[in-house]
Amino acid sequence: MSALSQAKILICDDSMMIRKKMRSLLEGYGVTNISEAKDGKEAVEKYAEVLPDITFMDIVMPEMSGVDALKAIKEKYPDAVVVMATSIGTEGNLTEAIRYGASDFLQKPVEEERLKKLLGHYFKEA
Amino acid sequence: MFTQFFGSYLLNKQIVSADNLKKAMELKSSTRVKLGVLAINAGYMTAKQVDAVHKMQATVDKRIGDIAVEMGYLTPEQVTELLSAQKTGCLVLGQTLVDMGCLTNEEFEEALNSYKSEHHLEDEDFSTENEKKAGNVIGSFFKLSKTANADLISEYINILLKNLIRFIGDDFAPINECAVQPTDTAVTQNISGESNFVTSVAGSDKAMIEFASRYAEEQLTENDEYTKDVVSEFLNLNNGLFTVNVSNNSGKELKLSPQQACTADKVAKLKAKYTVKVPVAFSFGNIVFTICEV
Repeated sequence: MSALSQAKILICDDSMMIRKKMRSLLEGYGVTNISEAKDGKEAVEKYAEVLPDITFMDIVMPEMSGVDALKAIKEKYPDAVVVMATSIGTEGNLTEAIRYGASDFLQKPVEEERLKKLLGHYFKEA
Repeated sequence: MFTQFFGSYLLNKQIVSADNLKKAMELKSSTRVKLGVLAINAGYMTAKQVDAVHKMQATVDKRIGDIAVEMGYLTPEQVTELLSAQKTGCLVLGQTLVDMGCLTNEEFEEALNSYKSEHHLEDEDFSTENEKKAGNVIGSFFKLSKTANADLISEYINILLKNLIRFIGDDFAPINECAVQPTDTAVTQNISGESNFVTSVAGSDKAMIEFASRYAEEQLTENDEYTKDVVSEFLNLNNGLFTVNVSNNSGKELKLSPQQACTADKVAKLKAKYTVKVPVAFSFGNIVFTICEV
């Protein structure tokens, strides 16, 4: 298990505000290597470019949905850790995301405690 | 949300003006509900008796509760009970309006009783936010009885009002009418499933900036791309929570499309089967939500 401060994290969300808030929370945990993508298509491209340790993926996004981006990433990188971060955590969406290999689910609005607990599963010092 | 509808009730019955209601909504966070208002709400004292106790207090150096007991209006047990009673939002709003001099105790008593009786509300409904009764109040206020998919629309409005209270603030009242300028900023998002809806939010630059500032928890100063992004994310969050609720309650899966920024006239020109408008008056300005079935 590597240290959280050394982690490479990719935030995929079409909302500038959500990206900003997530970045700020992660920076608060000492993470410095943070990349962002504003839609599903960019998420797939960015993933290949930075090979993050963990990716936070929104579901409703333009160009390509988060579930399609997850599918594309997992096809090429089966070990990718992708956490779906969304407000539409319906049974249907979650089942679909799990089927395509999502590692976890983060309900929006993101609660700091829940994010911290989740990061603790993957990194030291979370 | 019964507090917000109590505000609407006072406005619609022309008991208070829109300006005074906005001011009261702003001030109510620092209001302390007094014994008189609590006693009126509990039905232990009439407004006239409360006024008599207040008059007496001006001449003697005693607490209101002690005077009310001495005058035979309350028992010591009732005073203790009232002081520990829950200060629900309607009482806080009422007390603020009384403190502002916009309502007398008697007008407050009359308004609260007619509001409760019109919607068959009991005291415990206020503290538990009784879902069924909230649905009835929403249905009656927005005249949903003849609307197709009335239950779904009512559920949508219920979730929307709860999210406004949770993420923006409780200083608002739903209103019946609110003109939106054609050039006002709007954000839309489609919800698709068995029925298809276009949802939107619109408002003036000033209202949108303040709305977004509260949601983003940072002070924004212009109605720029970031402000529209924040408002758009609120709509997305609200619609997301709505789809989860529908999925949990009825097993129906709804899909959301990415949000789009536009102008209010584009929303007005949508070819819809019907449109339900949900205008809300915040202390900083009016915001109009719409749900159209297309």
